[in-house]
Amino acid sequence: MLLNVRNNNFICINADSAELERIRKFVLNFAEKFGFDDITANKIALAVDEVCTNLIKHSYKYDSSREICLQISTDNNQFSVLILDDGASFNPSSEISLDMRDYLANFRRGGLGLHIINLVMDKIQYIPRSDDFPKNRLILTKYIK
Amino acid sequence: MNNSNFKIDKKNIDDFVILSISGYLDAHTAPLLEQELEKSVKDECYKIIVNFSDLDYISSAGLGVFMAFIEDVRQNGGDIKLTNMKEKVFAVFDLLGFPLLFDILNEENEAIAKFQGN
Repeated sequence: MLLNVRNNNFICINADSAELERIRKFVLNFAEKFGFDDITANKIALAVDEVCTNLIKHSYKYDSSREICLQISTDNNQFSVLILDDGASFNPSSEISLDMRDYLANFRRGGLGLHIINLVMDKIQYIPRSDDFPKNRLILTKYIK
Repeated sequence: MNNSNFKIDKKNIDDFVILSISGYLDAHTAPLLEQELEKSVKDECYKIIVNFSDLDYISSAGLGVFMAFIEDVRQNGGDIKLTNMKEKVFAVFDLLGFPLLFDILNEENEAIAKFQGN
């Protein structure tokens, strides 16, 4: 299913925050066509935005010559976004869930992106890069009800 | 203050400031809002209303800007009141429980009335 590349469901962008809008539009377009309502489609685009923002900031340290690639795939009731990068390996589903009451009561900052990804998506798979495949693969999946 | 996909219109009424934001508030555009809120705090204008009526998107970078200032603003007797949110934008605040901390109102006038103690 994945990496069976067809032109219109695959994009690569430079690791630049100015590209986030393009990424979201790409994801939104597919998510809405797949049948998600406006609010859910927006949340899926948000989760992908948060992944890419983290890659740009933490993994690529704002080096906009680096690249992030995305591929959308669908199968029955599942909508998946594959995100490829070649930075240091980091599994976003390994973070401990935030206690939002504590977070808000103590005016904390940061870490919300990972929390959002885990709240919004139904399944998160991570395959770190290896000698066999030179890019980290993150697959975010959402099921349509 | 604007960027191709994010804009802030500012107006001062009495002792409060109203920031009307439009477009997309993400990691690319959040620094613009941060600068504007910093300016308000520096000018000791702590009664802040942010009107979201033309905002189409917010990510954690945008939420983080509000978290950065709310404590300081409240300690100085003010607040950051948020108004006129589209449903999909409110859904992001709600996802994270932000309505527990922030006063989110339907209309700008309600925020003004609350500041005036009405």
